[in-house]
Amino acid sequence: MHLNMKRSLISFLFSILSLLALAQDDLMNMLNQDAKPEINYTSATFKSTRIMNGHSIERMPPGQLDFRISHRFGRINSGAYEFFGLDQANIRLGLETGIFNWLMVGIGRGTYEKTFDGFAKFTVLRQSTGAKVMPVSVSFFSSIAVNSLKWADPERTNYFSSRLSYVSQILIARKFSQSFSFQITPSYVHRNLVETELDPNDLWAIGAGGRLKLSKRISFNAEYYYVANATTYLGQEVYNPLSVGFDIETGGHVFQLIFTNSVAMIEKGFIGETTGSWGKGDIHFGFNLSRVFSFKK
Amino acid sequence: MKQLKVLFAVIIIILPFCKACYYDSEEALYPSTISSCDTTSVTFSGKIAPMLANNCYSCHSNATAAGFGAGIRLEDYADVKARATSVQGAIKHTGSYSPMPKNGGKLKSCLITQFDIWIRIGMPNN
Repeated sequence: MHLNMKRSLISFLFSILSLLALAQDDLMNMLNQDAKPEINYTSATFKSTRIMNGHSIERMPPGQLDFRISHRFGRINSGAYEFFGLDQANIRLGLETGIFNWLMVGIGRGTYEKTFDGFAKFTVLRQSTGAKVMPVSVSFFSSIAVNSLKWADPERTNYFSSRLSYVSQILIARKFSQSFSFQITPSYVHRNLVETELDPNDLWAIGAGGRLKLSKRISFNAEYYYVANATTYLGQEVYNPLSVGFDIETGGHVFQLIFTNSVAMIEKGFIGETTGSWGKGDIHFGFNLSRVFSFKK
Repeated sequence: MKQLKVLFAVIIIILPFCKACYYDSEEALYPSTISSCDTTSVTFSGKIAPMLANNCYSCHSNATAAGFGAGIRLEDYADVKARATSVQGAIKHTGSYSPMPKNGGKLKSCLITQFDIWIRIGMPNN
């Protein structure tokens, strides 16, 4: 009798347990039905809003302010007397922030031709997997630069419009893997005033840049712009800008070390006005320092 | 909200283009200054000092030379006269002189020509 009761109790418990397990299965099914298939957006295609000189697909999110200090020193081939260019510094200070999660704006002032610049960059497409498959990210970049140098000839009639130049770029990037991203950047530069009738007001260029991750905090970056119709700039031969360097990430900072043949840090300057040549050793060492302040509560 | 975003995006794309977009060249805009470089009335106060002020003083004024211009001062007549040959070499990018202005293109050829003329006529302080 005692034994029987024990047996029946055990079988009862087992049947409850199996019921519970069944119920759990149902619950899981119900949950699965409710959850919509997710879109996985690719993040951190590049670590910074710049690949090297040029913009990357990345943008600042709203509520975050990026204070950028960028330097390009003089030419390395200027020799030991000039401390391999380090005696001479060109700087750009910038403040950049996100307005919406698809729009970023920024302003800056650079030593190169005492230029003020303002830009807007907005996200058109985001690379994603899952419910929505998008192979690339696409952004549009637009900027205005104002050269604030004193007029070469103050006596002639000078127009403010002569100081202006515009840049538009389509940034197309893909993160191929955790360690490799690549971007293609068709670019258009308009200068309101050029020197001679033979110099084009409109420049067409295509940029290519990539990031190769070397370790958790360091990546190797390279960037090249092919300028289709560059001529000369202020009587000097113009070369295509090539930049190589490293991204070094520390908490809150991205530090980019750069070797480039361009001294300008804005699109208007390095596309079509790069007078340094890698072949001749006209290489500038420089860095971009990015410090992000967060205003989000 | 979506419409607002689209409107905003359209404004940002169009904004740079509806503001002044010109196709000017100095050659066409200022035909007289390019074709006829003033080579007759080259004076220190009229041509040389303004050229130096516009292009050199951010590093080579009396105030900035020590910090940025390797101690080379180009503000006073006597200083310019003493360094005329090296200034000439630097702006023409010849010889072993450090090419100037740094990192930019050369000066306009008219300005270089006027500096040459000023040296040839004996560097007068006029």
